[in-house]
Amino acid sequence: MLYMVNKSPLMTNNLETCLAIAPEGDPILLYEDGVYAAVDGGRLVEQMETALARHPIYALEADLEARGIKRLVEGIQVVNYDGFVGLVEEHNVVPWI
Amino acid sequence: MSKVAVLMRKAPYGSVYTAEGFRAVMGIGIFEMDVALAFVDDGVYALVKDQDPEKLDMQPLGEGFPMLPEFGVDEFYVHQPSLEARGLSVDDLVMDVQLLDDAGLAKLLAECGTVMPF
Repeated sequence: MLYMVNKSPLMTNNLETCLAIAPEGDPILLYEDGVYAAVDGGRLVEQMETALARHPIYALEADLEARGIKRLVEGIQVVNYDGFVGLVEEHNVVPWI
Repeated sequence: MSKVAVLMRKAPYGSVYTAEGFRAVMGIGIFEMDVALAFVDDGVYALVKDQDPEKLDMQPLGEGFPMLPEFGVDEFYVHQPSLEARGLSVDDLVMDVQLLDDAGLAKLLAECGTVMPF
């Protein structure tokens, strides 16, 4: 399943519960305010590094660029809209919104 | 047709999500589709006893969910870690439910294939 997170991890526990529930190996896509989880240097970095050892993690390029996010936690993969569609085609989706 | 999982993750009266989720589940049941209802995170608050939202001009959702079996909806799951994180137990809920841990919830969602979030 593709778990999709669109809320800021600093304002909600969405990412936290998603990471608790998503089985190892299932991909996670960060979009809208969910992309703030991808930012390097904040207090979530360690949690993201742990998550990256268990899941492929993607962040939507347009949402990163819109927010001026340039420094990403290493290992996070940036996808454009075509990549987004490809992921959704490939997997059933759990919208963790 | 695969089973639909309706994922309830919001508290009941701060938004219309829970009420809309309830309506969606009822519709899915009426059309005789397989549906599983899963309460996770603040969604578990929708099932606590003694809700009285009359002063908010809102429908008491806690009384609605136990009526859903009449509409063909009879699979109710609650994420136990979400319940415990809120100081609640099954004794606080309006109906009998099946408890799931993290892995159990992930398995349910994967088995259903289609997940509708509220």
